[in-house]
Amino acid sequence: MGFTFAEGPLLESEWYNFDSLNVPKDHPARDMQDTFFIKDLPEHVLRTQTSPVQVRYMEAQIKAGNPPPYRIIVPGKVFRNEATDMTHEAEFFQLEGLAVGETISLANLKGTIDRFYTELFKGADVEVRFRPSFFPFVEPGVEVDARINGDNVPEKLRGKWIEMMGAGMVHKNVLKNAGVDPTKYQGFAFGMGLDRLAMLRWGIDDIRLMHSADLRFVNQF
Amino acid sequence: MKISRTWLQKYFDAELPSAGKLVEALTFHAFEIEGTEKVGDDDVLDVKVTPNRGHDALSHRGIAKELSAILNVPLSSDPLKETPNLSPATDAVSVAIQEPDLCYRFTAGYIKGVKVGPSPDWLKERLEAIGQRSINNIVDATNFVMFNIGQPVHAFDAGHLEERDGKYAFEVRKATAGEVLVALDDKEYKLSESNLVVADKHSGNAVGIAGVKGGKPAGISETTKDIIVECANFNGVSVRKTARALNLATDASQRFQQVISSELAAYGQRAIVDLILKIAGGELVGFVDVYPKPVQPWNVSFTVDHASKLLGIPVSVDDAQDALTRLGITHIYQGDILICDIPFERLDLQNPEDMIEEVGRIIGYEKIPATELPPFEKPVERNENFAKAETIREHLLDKEYSEVYTSVFADNGEVMVLNKVDSVRPYMRTNILDGLKEALKKNIPNKDLLGLKEVKLFEIGTVWKNGKEEVHVASVGEKSKGEEGTLTDIKPEDTILFPTSTTERYQSFSRYPSITRDIALWVPSDTSAEDVKKTIAQAADTLLTRIDQFDEFKKGDKQSYAFRLVFQSSEKTLTDDEANSAMNSVYAAVKAKGWEVR
Repeated sequence: MGFTFAEGPLLESEWYNFDSLNVPKDHPARDMQDTFFIKDLPEHVLRTQTSPVQVRYMEAQIKAGNPPPYRIIVPGKVFRNEATDMTHEAEFFQLEGLAVGETISLANLKGTIDRFYTELFKGADVEVRFRPSFFPFVEPGVEVDARINGDNVPEKLRGKWIEMMGAGMVHKNVLKNAGVDPTKYQGFAFGMGLDRLAMLRWGIDDIRLMHSADLRFVNQF
Repeated sequence: MKISRTWLQKYFDAELPSAGKLVEALTFHAFEIEGTEKVGDDDVLDVKVTPNRGHDALSHRGIAKELSAILNVPLSSDPLKETPNLSPATDAVSVAIQEPDLCYRFTAGYIKGVKVGPSPDWLKERLEAIGQRSINNIVDATNFVMFNIGQPVHAFDAGHLEERDGKYAFEVRKATAGEVLVALDDKEYKLSESNLVVADKHSGNAVGIAGVKGGKPAGISETTKDIIVECANFNGVSVRKTARALNLATDASQRFQQVISSELAAYGQRAIVDLILKIAGGELVGFVDVYPKPVQPWNVSFTVDHASKLLGIPVSVDDAQDALTRLGITHIYQGDILICDIPFERLDLQNPEDMIEEVGRIIGYEKIPATELPPFEKPVERNENFAKAETIREHLLDKEYSEVYTSVFADNGEVMVLNKVDSVRPYMRTNILDGLKEALKKNIPNKDLLGLKEVKLFEIGTVWKNGKEEVHVASVGEKSKGEEGTLTDIKPEDTILFPTSTTERYQSFSRYPSITRDIALWVPSDTSAEDVKKTIAQAADTLLTRIDQFDEFKKGDKQSYAFRLVFQSSEKTLTDDEANSAMNSVYAAVKAKGWEVR
C-alpha cells in the first residue's frame, strides 16, 4: 500500500507535540495533570501521542525536496501521566497512520482502515463505520468503529461495534506547519492504541501484561 | 450533558421519534451518547458534546437545533432567532468592567418586588429530569435559561447590595491577594490576583467569582424582594484556570471555559427577565448592557468540488444547500461558491473544511464508501532504523531470546519528569540492562513452567544518556552477564526471518508459584513416549500444567523415558504435600501398567 515506517523522539518539544498539531496553548490537555513535563527543560514533554511524527516526517521530506505523496505508519511509545490499572498504563503504544496526496479522501481512510482490520483478523468479515468526532489536528474528525464477524474472532468482540480509533482529514494548519501546501495537498491521519488493539485481537485482559516482561505472557506469541 | 426528551419536544410541533431513534440520530450525525435513562415519563440522554461544539451545543436549544437538521424537522420556534430588545435601559444599575480582556460583556436586569417561592410544576419537572434540584423560582429560572440556551445566568438579591442614592454599582475586577468569598455552596474561597470577581463597587466586596459561582451574602433567599440578574461573558481560559485553582467546576464555568459568544448574553438576559416576571412577578426597572467590542458577523465560503474531493463522494450543490438550510445557515450560491453567514453561536465554523464537515455529517458518513488508496507513485522508502531493529530482533529470536518491554522510568538518570502522578521512578532510564536484569530475576522461577532450559531476554528501546535520546538493544540470560549497545554497535552475522506469530488467543495464566517434579521410568521397548506421557498426565490430574519429556534411552529390551512435571493451581500457592499426593497417583498409575520407576 506504500506505507513506510517513520519515527520520532519520545521526549518531544511542545511545538511538535501540541502547537504544530493545532492544539492551542491553553488547551486542557496541556495542563500539568495529563502530561509529563521535564525538569530543567521547559517546553518539552514525554510525547502524549505519535502524531508529532506526522509533522516531523513531512517537514523533513519538504526540506529534502520531496513533495507528497507521503504514506507513513508510526508505531511508538507514548505517555499519559495517570495511575495504572487493568486498562490504563502510563506508557503504552500507539499506531499512527498518515497518507497525504492530491486526492486522498475520507473514503480512502475508510478503505485503508477496512483493509487493516481485514488483514489483522484474517478470515473475518470486517465492517467499518465513522461517527462525527473532534480532534484539533483533523477536520473533519471521526471516531472509527469496527464490527468483526468470524469464527476466529474472540467472543467478546464478535459481531459487536467496537470503538477502535480516532481519525480524520489532516487539518490544514498541520499541513501548513509542516511546510506542505494545503491548497494543493490533503490527506488522512489515524491513531489507535496498539495495546488496546492487541487486547481485543488476542483477548488479553490486562494492559499491564504488555509491559510486564513476563514470559508467561510474552512466550504465548 | 443531560438532555430531556420532553424538554426537547417543546422545540417541535411534530412528535419527536423515540429516545432510541434520537440516540441513533445524534450518534451518527453529531455527538456520542454516553447513556440514557428513564425519569418518570421522560427519557434523558447523556450527550457527550465535543469540545469544538461547547460554544453552541451545551443546551437543549443546541441539541434541538442539531436534531432539527439531522431529522429534517423544523423547529417550531428558535429562541436565538430574533435579536432581543434590552429595553428600557436604566441608570439605577451601573457596571464598570476593569478587565475588558477577561470580561467581554456584562448585562444586568433590575426587577423590583418579586415573590420568591416554589417553582411551578413544569419548571421543577424540567430541572429534576436532568438531575438538578429545585431551589426556588428565581434560582430555578436562572438554571432553566442556562440549560435551555446555554447562557449562564446569576441572580443577586439587591437588598444585600449597597445602594447609594437609589443606585447600585457593579465592578468586574481581579480579586486582591487573599480576598475571601463565601460562595453559594457555603464554602469559603481564598482568591488570588489571577481570579476575576464581580464586586459591589459601593461596598468594595466581591459578590461572585466571575463565571464560576455567586457569593452567599447576595444570594437569593425567601426574603428577597428586588433582584439584579447578571448575564455576562467571560474569558474562557481565565474561568477555567480559576475553576481549576479553586477546585470548583460548575455548570457555568464549564460553559464559559468552552467559550460562548458574547451575543448570547442579551438572549439570556431577555429570557431570564421574561421568565422571572412570569413566574415570580415583580416589575422590570430596566437593563444595563456594557459591551465594549461587539462581535462582528463573519462568513465562510466553500465549493462543492472541495467538499467532494475531501469526503470522497460526489456532493451536489443541492446536497450542500440542503444541509446548510437544515442547519439554519443562511447562504448564497454565487459563481460556484457557497457563501455562508455563520450563526453567531457557531464559533466552530471558521474554515471551508468546517463547512464540509457540516455537509458530510448531515449527508451521513455511512454514505462514504470504503475506497482503496490509489497506487503509490513513488518507490516505498525503507526506514533504516526499523530495518536494523528488525534484523537484530530476528537474530536474537533465533538465539532463543524472548523480546520484552520494560519501563523507561528509572530510579536515577539524567532526565527527570516533573510531575509523575505516582512519584515513583521519576527519571528516564540511562540503560535497558538494569530493568532487563530485574525482569530476568522475575522470570527465572517460571523457567520449568515455561519449559525453558535458560531464561534469555532482550529489549529494543529508548534510553536517555549523555544528553541525548537513543535507541539501544540489550540482552541478558541466566548464563550471560548481558550486553547493551546502540543498533549500529551490534552487527548480527546471520539473520533468519521468522514468520509472524500464529497465536489466535491469549490464555490467562495462574499468578501462583509452580512446583516441579521429575520422573524417570523403564517401560517395554514397544511402548511409545506419547503413551507414557498420557498415562502420567491422566493420573496427575488438574494440577498438572505442563509435562515435558527431557530424556530417553534404550537398554536391551527396555526403554527409559524421563519427564518433567510442573504443578500449579489457579487459586492458591501449592504445598509440597499436594504435589506429592499428585505424584503418588502417578506412581500408582505407572505401577498398575507394570512400568518401573527408576
